[in-house]
Amino acid sequence: MAPESILQLKNVEAAYGPITAIRGVSLSVPRGAIVTVLGANGAGKTTIMKTISGILDPTKGTIELEGEPIQGLEPDAIVRRGICHVPEGREVFPLLSVHDNLMMGAFTRQDRAGIAEDLEQAYAYFPILRERARQAAGSLSGGQQQMLAISRALMGRPKLLLLDEPSLGLSPKLTKDIFEIITRINRERALSIVVVEQNAAMALSHAHFGYILEVGRVVMEDSCERLMQKDDIKEFYLGMHAAGVRGERRWKRKKTWR
Amino acid sequence: MEIDTIPAMFWQAVTTRGDKTALRQKELGIWRSVSWKDFGNTAREIGLGLVRLGFAPGETASILSNTNCAWVYADMGVLGAGGVCSGIYPTDSAAQVEYLLADSGSAYVFVEDEEQLDKVLAVRERLPELRTIIVFDMEGLRGFSDPMVTSLEELRRLGFEHHRDYPEAWQACLRGRRPEDLAILIYTSGTTGKPKGAMLSHANVMHATRGNAITLPSGEGGERMCFLPLCHVAERIGGAYLAMYSGGVMNFVEKPECVPENVREIAPTGFLAVPRIWEKFYSEVMIRLKNATAFERRAYGVAIGIGEGVVERRLAGKQISFPLRAAFWLARTLVLANIRKSIGIHRCRWIATGAAPISPDLIRWYMALGIEVIELYGMTEATGAITVNPIGRSKPGTVGVAGPYGEVAISTQGEILVRGEHVFMGYLNLPEKTAETVVDGWLHTGDVGNFDEDGYLRITDRLKDIIITAGGKNITPSEFENQLKFSPYITDAIVVGDRRPYLTCLVMIDHDNVEKYAQDHDIPFTNFASLCRAQAIRELIQAEVDKVNAGFARVEQIKRFSLIEQKLTAEDEELTPTMKLKRKLVNEKYRPLIESMYQKEAA
Repeated sequence: MAPESILQLKNVEAAYGPITAIRGVSLSVPRGAIVTVLGANGAGKTTIMKTISGILDPTKGTIELEGEPIQGLEPDAIVRRGICHVPEGREVFPLLSVHDNLMMGAFTRQDRAGIAEDLEQAYAYFPILRERARQAAGSLSGGQQQMLAISRALMGRPKLLLLDEPSLGLSPKLTKDIFEIITRINRERALSIVVVEQNAAMALSHAHFGYILEVGRVVMEDSCERLMQKDDIKEFYLGMHAAGVRGERRWKRKKTWR
Repeated sequence: MEIDTIPAMFWQAVTTRGDKTALRQKELGIWRSVSWKDFGNTAREIGLGLVRLGFAPGETASILSNTNCAWVYADMGVLGAGGVCSGIYPTDSAAQVEYLLADSGSAYVFVEDEEQLDKVLAVRERLPELRTIIVFDMEGLRGFSDPMVTSLEELRRLGFEHHRDYPEAWQACLRGRRPEDLAILIYTSGTTGKPKGAMLSHANVMHATRGNAITLPSGEGGERMCFLPLCHVAERIGGAYLAMYSGGVMNFVEKPECVPENVREIAPTGFLAVPRIWEKFYSEVMIRLKNATAFERRAYGVAIGIGEGVVERRLAGKQISFPLRAAFWLARTLVLANIRKSIGIHRCRWIATGAAPISPDLIRWYMALGIEVIELYGMTEATGAITVNPIGRSKPGTVGVAGPYGEVAISTQGEILVRGEHVFMGYLNLPEKTAETVVDGWLHTGDVGNFDEDGYLRITDRLKDIIITAGGKNITPSEFENQLKFSPYITDAIVVGDRRPYLTCLVMIDHDNVEKYAQDHDIPFTNFASLCRAQAIRELIQAEVDKVNAGFARVEQIKRFSLIEQKLTAEDEELTPTMKLKRKLVNEKYRPLIESMYQKEAA
């Protein structure tokens, strides 16, 4: 790949006990790009995220951040190296206030001035968070919690942001808003982002590059514009159906991934 | 009733075997048995249902479905009603379906499900002779109604009523055909041009089936797997009709992907398959060995070594000493039995391979496991088998002796000629092609071969596949290709080099095994194309090519090869429905790739 990549996975395998969840995934994230990983339930998307951020150790393969191997490091060490993970289902600290949640995101940092600056920035991205700064995070709506989770990750001043299903449980309108913010953050800060999504149409239209995952393996990779033109993507991910002779069609053609 | 037609044979089986099991179909994880009586009733309802709809003797019905029990029900229904039955591959496109329905002049077509139905609906306007479409599985079609479409259930209801109203009708139908009448159409998969409909008469089929009962013995109650396409001569004649004749049980697998698992569950007593399946089983064992413990690998090495020693002596006609026999018994009981069991062939009296060339080494491997292997040679135009390796006197590398089928001769050009009752009636609508193929009763096979001193036939190549290099050297590509296919990493290969300075090869890799290799050796890849492009994978295939090259003279060696970077499926035009690469089409379609193999040298 021509542009320099910030993150590189080579033949990564990870397992939950006896069950291998990802079987040899190789992917690379160009610096400053949004890369999306799509796949059905159980394809291994979240596992990839957890393996990158060190929550799960790979049984095989290497993960390199800016050329340095990071596989097997403790999650906090990985955060210190600049990867922040927004987990699936947001996972804000419900009993802490919004402000304290954000400060937890800066836990690894010492530069008070920088932290204050980033806090200000977070409130600028999501003004609603400033309004609710003193409120317990558990009392926020789903969309607000997602905003908080993203802001909390940004408080770590990451080089690479991992977003696991930001649209989960959000209305179409909110999903759109969240993705617009993600694009904006990417543009303004030149922040590299990996986003895992079920909402393929949304992810493909906002990301630069995409990987399709099927039962733990990459079956397709290309730029998002090109992916959107592929027949398999149209039928299986974008729900576009060439209507049959009867005006309906229930059967699915076989996937070929080309 | 004289048993000289398929319906007569079928009804004889139904009346004599009654409540015994005729077939099993795996549905949602459960094997369901069907007795001969029920099989007979279903076929009768289908046959009389067609009669009720106006089906006349001699009319054609096509079946567009995967291999399942409904396929044989419909087949027997159509033939029982005095019709002609033609099979269509479920992987064919709508355009191909149109061609086959039009060429065969089908008045009725049975379709498996919604997916197949859509193909016929898309082209039916251009098929004036088509009257009714019968759907096996109505799932997803509850709300659909069309005057031309009916369900198998509905057809059977009509047949049931017809039988109630005219109890004698079915017997009259069964007697309606003479042995010399056309029974089935089998379209040749056509590695070149449009498919041609080979016309097989009842006499052809019965003659071939009687021969098969001798060469592929399977007593009543013998278990057979049914999973190859029934539109192909091998499964239709050597599988289904042989089972009806001899009383074997047909076991229909759940899905094509489930074959290995279903084989293990049934443990067939006789197993006819194409080389691709045998290659697949072999590579599965090889891959499993790689993951085995060092002790297991040692045990396998010793045991297969003993097995190979025994096979070698047996093939050379030498006595097998008592210690060797004892060692082989031990090896078989302790080690090789497990390998046979892991494939599911431990109860097999024989396994048979045909329809495509196979590597003799692979045959020897199965023999070393302690299994009788029957390699046979045949073609659609000869209603299946032409020569067969006799059980116990098999010679790997040959396709056996003419046996009970008919005469086999070699023409002055070296072409294999066949004469006998199994030689087909001709190609439908193609009298000139027929005249070219059958001359004075001799079927010209288009294959080149010779007999050895014991009368075993050895096939050297297809007449039209022979490559003549720019240097003037005649090359028979299949020899090289078959050895290459023996590698677990290579599924198929095509040697190129006609009028070229040297030979090159297009290789289709085995996706699963190569992917596994890449993973084990930390070779990064994402999709199929990047897997093919990985340097280490090219080196892996290069090593396989080098291995085969070592056994050939310099001019016969492959200088360069390319990998086909697209994963091909049965739906792709490059493959025949039996998953063989189509030589001519591949040669044209991959022209730029082939050219590149001849340009690099200059650069």
